[in-house]
Amino acid sequence: MRAILDGLYRASSAAAAVCLCMIASLVLVQVFGRILDGTLRALDMPIAGITVPSLNEIAGFLFVAATFLALAATLRQADHIRVSMLIKVVPLGVRRILEAVVLIIATAIAAYAAYHAVLQVVDSIQFSTVSFGVIAIPLWIPQTALAIGLVVFAIALADELITVITSGTPTYQAHEEAKSEILQKPVITPEDAERGMS
Amino acid sequence: MGIETLAIVLGLAMLAALALGLWVSLALTAVAVLGIVIATSVPVGTVLATTFWGKLNSWELTALPMFIWMGEILFRSKLSEDMFAGLAPWMRGLPGRLLHVNILGCTIFAAVSGSSAATTATIGRMALPELSQRGYDPRIAIGTLAGSGTLGLLIPPSIILIVYGAATEQSIARLFIAGVLPGFMLAVLFMGFTAIWALTNKDKMPAAEPPIPLRERMAATRRLIPIILLIVAVIGSIYAGLASPTEAAAVGVFCALILSWLSGTLTKDSFTQALLGATRTSCMIAFILAGAAFLTVAMGYTRIPRELASWIGVMELSPYALLAALTLFFIILGCFLDGISIVVLTTSIILPMVQAAGIDPIWFGIFLVLVVEMSQITPPVGFNLFVIQGMTGRNIFQVALYALPFFGLLVLGTVLLVIFPEIALWLPETMLSNR
Repeated sequence: MRAILDGLYRASSAAAAVCLCMIASLVLVQVFGRILDGTLRALDMPIAGITVPSLNEIAGFLFVAATFLALAATLRQADHIRVSMLIKVVPLGVRRILEAVVLIIATAIAAYAAYHAVLQVVDSIQFSTVSFGVIAIPLWIPQTALAIGLVVFAIALADELITVITSGTPTYQAHEEAKSEILQKPVITPEDAERGMS
Repeated sequence: MGIETLAIVLGLAMLAALALGLWVSLALTAVAVLGIVIATSVPVGTVLATTFWGKLNSWELTALPMFIWMGEILFRSKLSEDMFAGLAPWMRGLPGRLLHVNILGCTIFAAVSGSSAATTATIGRMALPELSQRGYDPRIAIGTLAGSGTLGLLIPPSIILIVYGAATEQSIARLFIAGVLPGFMLAVLFMGFTAIWALTNKDKMPAAEPPIPLRERMAATRRLIPIILLIVAVIGSIYAGLASPTEAAAVGVFCALILSWLSGTLTKDSFTQALLGATRTSCMIAFILAGAAFLTVAMGYTRIPRELASWIGVMELSPYALLAALTLFFIILGCFLDGISIVVLTTSIILPMVQAAGIDPIWFGIFLVLVVEMSQITPPVGFNLFVIQGMTGRNIFQVALYALPFFGLLVLGTVLLVIFPEIALWLPETMLSNR
């Protein structure tokens, strides 16, 4: 079970990373196509006309997919920001309860959002909605990425909740602490500091 | 429920959710759900799904992950060393000497990175040990770094200006260009202060080092040429209207990869790390934006921002008084919240009020970023403080104390921006294409 879940989060974040690579590649093709045409025109030669049709829309879709598919991995690496002042100062037992309460609320919101994201996909399929651009892309395709991302996010939150209840420490805690305490190891030793102060 | 009661209930709910430790993006979403459920009978879930989809599905926002990625690649390159080696020889003659490397290094790195934490970490990684080895007072060394690290937010490409532009539907290109001069102004203020400090605290400065011959200086500075070219290409093409911010960012990613390949730091490992890091940071910010967009819609239903705007209108507050009150409010907020959360909360609730007072939204974006920069160095929550604590082992309150003069300079910069709004607005007006 653990391996399946970890695989799910990894696959989802890998798909998000691929979306970013695709955005960069498509935009670069468009830019270099334009530069090439400009050069050819300056040389009085026929233009090559390399463009990416509907790039603006496709890039937007890929961005949505990248965002939502990365949600779970971002949670586990403690990259979603929150105010952890209170949670850090309370005693361990209270902290565990707080963490559980937060995760219950979070799971509920994520599950609610995921459910409605799935309904949105169903709607788009039913009404065969497509994008406005040169290439009419069925909207359910990018919307499915949004829905999958939220579903995986809800699963990851529920997973953390179970972890907190059974073992007390969420996965993201280690990353969270590492982030606020040491980004790198101290580069100024106390001796250096003394020397500087005197 | 009356609108005042509703506003208080939602405000308290937001405070409770944030203080409890709920993730900011989810806290925004939760309060929005609450607001819609109490104020109206519209189908909440449908509004949520269509807002998440509709607001994030945007070409302009695509610049966000690209600029973050570019910064991540450069963060993992040799840029940090190059910056110190290239800048240090020139600074020896100025009062304050190598302390200026902190400020100029941050200014230059800010022009390729949109994050202040990354700026602080990149420059500090090299400069802090060097400065401390040469016997510079760590208090001023740390202070200059913490202060000038905040420039990452203002000097384009700026992640926070993309967030503001997306949330308020302002042109990101114009916001970027508007941030250039205020960024320079702050760098000059910081350098001026450091020079004066050095002249009045000669006993705290280490002995002067012999100047380096011009030829050697030129040789050392050659290492900075690629990065300068990258800056000129990215910002120049936006200013000249040759490229949209997204296009400039994608080209920036490409150039950053080439730079990192040329310097031998591009490995399969560093590529994956940079890409995954960018994926997660962009996800975090975009999800907050999604939550904020939903909150904005919810606020529209509750009519709270409109009431607030007309209430301010009735009070006939002068824009100066309004801005002074807002600055104070943001500074307090900034002690507990990070910059992006402040910006999205502001745009959901306060923007109608600001526009009702006749304040230019582009100018207000720059003003907001300046105030948010202060929040980076105010304890107990300040991202630059966390980074420097990590690097030096000094606790954040100590670091904040060292950075206090620079907090003052940021306040001074904000006052100057209010008195002379042209500092932000002149350059965008001269842009070649008015997109």
